[in-house]
Amino acid sequence: MQTKKIFLPESEFPRQWYNIQADMPTPLEPPLNPGTGEPISPDDLSAIFPMPLIEQEVSQERWIDIPEEVIEKLLIWRPTPLYRAYNLEKYLETPAKIYFKNEGVSPPGSHKPTTAIPQVYYNKISGTKAITTETGAGQWGSGLSFAGKLFGMPIKVWMVRISYDQKPYRRLMMEVWGGKCVASPSTETNAGRAVLEKDPDCPGSLGMAISEAVEAAVTGDNTKYALGSVLNHVMLHQTVNGLETQKQMAIAGDYPDMIIGCAGGGSNFAGNCLPFCRDKIAGKDIDILGVEPASCPTMTMAPFAYDFGDTAATTPLLAMHTLGHNFIPAPIHAGGLRYHGMAPIISQLILDNIIRAENIQQIETFEAGLIFARTEGFISAPETNHATAMVIREALKAKEEGKEKVILFNWSGHGLVDMMAYQDYLSGKLADHAIDEEGIKNALRDIAPLPKPKQFKIGKVD
Amino acid sequence: MNNAVNPPEEDFQIRCPRLGHKISFSYCSKENNGLPCYKALDCWYTYFPVYEFFRQKLTEEDWKKAFESKMQPKVESIVELIERAKKVKAEKL
Repeated sequence: MQTKKIFLPESEFPRQWYNIQADMPTPLEPPLNPGTGEPISPDDLSAIFPMPLIEQEVSQERWIDIPEEVIEKLLIWRPTPLYRAYNLEKYLETPAKIYFKNEGVSPPGSHKPTTAIPQVYYNKISGTKAITTETGAGQWGSGLSFAGKLFGMPIKVWMVRISYDQKPYRRLMMEVWGGKCVASPSTETNAGRAVLEKDPDCPGSLGMAISEAVEAAVTGDNTKYALGSVLNHVMLHQTVNGLETQKQMAIAGDYPDMIIGCAGGGSNFAGNCLPFCRDKIAGKDIDILGVEPASCPTMTMAPFAYDFGDTAATTPLLAMHTLGHNFIPAPIHAGGLRYHGMAPIISQLILDNIIRAENIQQIETFEAGLIFARTEGFISAPETNHATAMVIREALKAKEEGKEKVILFNWSGHGLVDMMAYQDYLSGKLADHAIDEEGIKNALRDIAPLPKPKQFKIGKVD
Repeated sequence: MNNAVNPPEEDFQIRCPRLGHKISFSYCSKENNGLPCYKALDCWYTYFPVYEFFRQKLTEEDWKKAFESKMQPKVESIVELIERAKKVKAEKL
């Protein structure tokens, strides 16, 4: 009989996190204090983070011990199972072997509590009495509320007003776990009050919610702040995923030729792929691919090119694309993975060619989500569908090439509170808005005489 | 002469990659303290001539602030928020 799921016994759960900073070909540039221009010091961050997390943020140690108290809580759902997607393989008639790591089995249904638990723990042992954070649709807010309840830590979440009103289920999850959820902008902070004075109906923004959560942490007694993505210590905590997966792949008798994950802030993708990045740095031949949304057809259809912001090629890549009457520098595609919300670790690994990035249109992602749900059963979060869509592309490519490729992807969470997005897809609302290729062609004709960026790359439309 | 560009109606919504749910264009057009979200061009290009719309609506200065300013790394923006909050705390004392 075929083995569908590979479980690890709890005794095999990793006892240490893997810190890729010890092995990165190019060390991370230290972030600079915008006020002084000097590298950010632990002191700069100590107002909102406990010292153990700041130490992890800058640590160069390859392995960092996971405290027993943290392991005990993570074992509520970890190790998570690794699945072989036999039904999807059969449906696609592909020779590829497809594996997926199911991170949707945590109580909140996503990968977020894998870092929320250690963050709450380190706050607890450092004397923190309450933690603040911000959230958009609520995945992080619910993950942190769950972790807060496990350690008896009060959690207060500033949720963007428009999300607070439109996404009640995650807000209710936070409240079920005892988290206090406040709509942002709120009257509880100076930042919030200033906005509400100008616009009492302000729908809020992530930037606003972060301002409120940070202000509440700095001005509150023994209050700290937690962030669910981007920072190095978040990536570190998520590496238990990849470390488990390496053991599970060994049990399966396979090693991935390709690893795929959806990359927003980068933490779910990082968690799965960083231990394999270590293998790649050591010489293994693996294609590691982060997938992000491509809402803009210029990413895939218009001419664009990348360039560095300085002659030493040390800054993030900038994409220069030319739809319109001027060159418009915008953070798109691989460049887009370097915007405000992307983890510096992932960005640097892309620059060093350890990881590469692709983007994918939303209709293809929902098509993939449906195929996955109808073959493997699980209804994926819309973000997770990006990874699934790329897996399907690659599996079909393997079929064309007749290659028995091993593809691993991170199934980062379920979509059971995102069913309205599926309703839109099923009712044809998403398909109604096809890309205006003629419009793009006209725009390109307008800009044809303009100078091209250095690394000009022709698009698919013109 | 430019023809006026009209954005989609309020009941037309697309998924916001930052918030993780559907929103209408009016939100994206003023998400950043009254200026457009920096992703608005990418997200809405498919649905209407959003470049032209903002070119018509925004001053050159606001366009640059919204779409061409260098994105600050997250940790640096957090340090700025901490400094701002420390001032709030000092004023309270």
